[in-house]
Amino acid sequence: MAMMLLLFVAVLALVLCNVPIAVSLGIVAVVAMLTTHGLAILPNVALVTYNGATNFPLLAIPLFILAGAIMNASGISARLIGFASSLFGWIRGGLAHVSIGSSMFFAEISGSAVADVAALGSILIPGMKARGYPAPLAAAIMSSAATLAVIIPPSIPMILYAVMAETSVVQLFVAGIVPGILGAMGLMGVAYWFARRYDLPREEAFSIARVRTAGREALWAFLLPIIILGGIFGGIVTATEGAALAVIAALFVGLVIYRTLDVAELRKATLEGGVQTAVVMLLVATSALLGTYLTEVQAPQQLAKSVAAFTQNKWAVLALLNLLFLLLGMFLHSAAAIILVVPVVMPLVKAAGIDPVHFGLVVTINLGIGQQTPPVASVLMVASSIAKASIWEVSRFNVWFVGVLIAVLLLVTYVPVTGLGLVELFYR
Amino acid sequence: MTAGNESPGAPAVHKWRAAYGRALEWLVIGLIVALAVEVTIGVAFRTLGRALTWYDEIASVMLAWLTFYGSALASFKRAHIGCPEIVDKLPWRARRAVSIVAQLLVIAFFVLLGGVGVWITPVLATDALVSLPSIPMSVVQSVIPISSALIVIAEGMHLADLVGAKAPPAGTGGVALADGLH
Repeated sequence: MAMMLLLFVAVLALVLCNVPIAVSLGIVAVVAMLTTHGLAILPNVALVTYNGATNFPLLAIPLFILAGAIMNASGISARLIGFASSLFGWIRGGLAHVSIGSSMFFAEISGSAVADVAALGSILIPGMKARGYPAPLAAAIMSSAATLAVIIPPSIPMILYAVMAETSVVQLFVAGIVPGILGAMGLMGVAYWFARRYDLPREEAFSIARVRTAGREALWAFLLPIIILGGIFGGIVTATEGAALAVIAALFVGLVIYRTLDVAELRKATLEGGVQTAVVMLLVATSALLGTYLTEVQAPQQLAKSVAAFTQNKWAVLALLNLLFLLLGMFLHSAAAIILVVPVVMPLVKAAGIDPVHFGLVVTINLGIGQQTPPVASVLMVASSIAKASIWEVSRFNVWFVGVLIAVLLLVTYVPVTGLGLVELFYR
Repeated sequence: MTAGNESPGAPAVHKWRAAYGRALEWLVIGLIVALAVEVTIGVAFRTLGRALTWYDEIASVMLAWLTFYGSALASFKRAHIGCPEIVDKLPWRARRAVSIVAQLLVIAFFVLLGGVGVWITPVLATDALVSLPSIPMSVVQSVIPISSALIVIAEGMHLADLVGAKAPPAGTGGVALADGLH
């Protein structure tokens, strides 16, 4: 345990000096390996780092990012917003509900909350401000709703978790469906409360004809993700293959159906997707170095033993891990938290008898909440910057929406059937 | 680097930098497109009952190439996941000093990684991909030394900016590209 603490402090010190996390892991791992094995270990540094980046299931990440980018460059956001507006616009605070509904629909295409808030927030936050919503409230609604993107499949943090924990990404995707819908309903409840308090307007009277027209416009935006996710859930294609099909389908919609593919936007989004993939994959690669060393000294097993000596109760262990991931989420990006911590705590999770799929969902929601809690709160920062409001002002409103997400987390943690119900029904 | 710090040779340097960034961008776009096409072809053949034996091994190699060449672009764009919040709060001189040390550490790591990559290349020349024995592992793993060199160049540019800077650069902070993953 002392060795693990020393390594952790060394990584933390480097990270606080603004050395990229991937490089901090690499430096500490190399020093630890050299100290233990001497210079003879050096060839392994290159081999292990390279092998760490060749994880086939992780291919789904760049492909889902690319599919989302193509769909977005095809003007899909406006169509989804139109459909959500026809469904929810008649409720008091209609635009708030439209924002949450659009985020829920967009979550089927995108696996990233930041992509969700950037694509929808740039349209809906100025819209809400123009309709008299306080800017921080508009940002809080969009920011918290974007978290649905990582809970509802496909989800990039879930893909990462599944690889790190060596568990089924398909089951994890399925487990996210019910909590995602519950989260959306809870967020709408809080939005309604704010709508009454601030006397926010309704948008349009409900009309079946309008729902039908908007639904027809957005049909392909819904249909393709449903077919692809159906293929993945049905075991016809793997998550990686489904992601490749999503790219083709997105190109088909953009070029043939909508004919509105913005090539400049697509190039930019592809590039950003490439960089985003690379930075996370470099983390995976260098964490493989540190992971090799930790496995060698049996650090995860020692951690499991130490916690087991304190408590072996599954629910108490889950409470401890919830606290750990909530704290980590405040200070770490979700990808980094998953890559660094999941392999270390998995022996403990298994020893406590916790289902790895259940735990994956708990981790995902925890880290989704972490994106809303400063100082490191990527989604909140994007929403605040679009709304031109300070993150602290936004947080004053957002705390109520985060409360909903915490309630979903507790429900998922302590009533496992919430997430695992569909998994049990279809896969076990 | 602020405009006030520019030397007479700055425009040429800027041009060279822009060209370097563009080259990396096209490399990354090419890899992503190739990856998507390769996986799609693999799925199509598998669906037709004629699975390609090399499909997943080549896809894994391409993912590794995207990782390391994409990391070079990430270095160029300052997009690696880090925690600049603490250093950004320091007074400018301390911030600059810490940033220079951090930059030197990054460069040292990739010099070591690249050096080891070169060192093991002859050893790997006798190994080959399992599904495509005509492709030696030395070619596949050449990505380590080449991308390390590209990263060192990108990080070296930033180090030169830091060493030459007399005032904090404008417009720091905000959300990194890497945030899009969450």
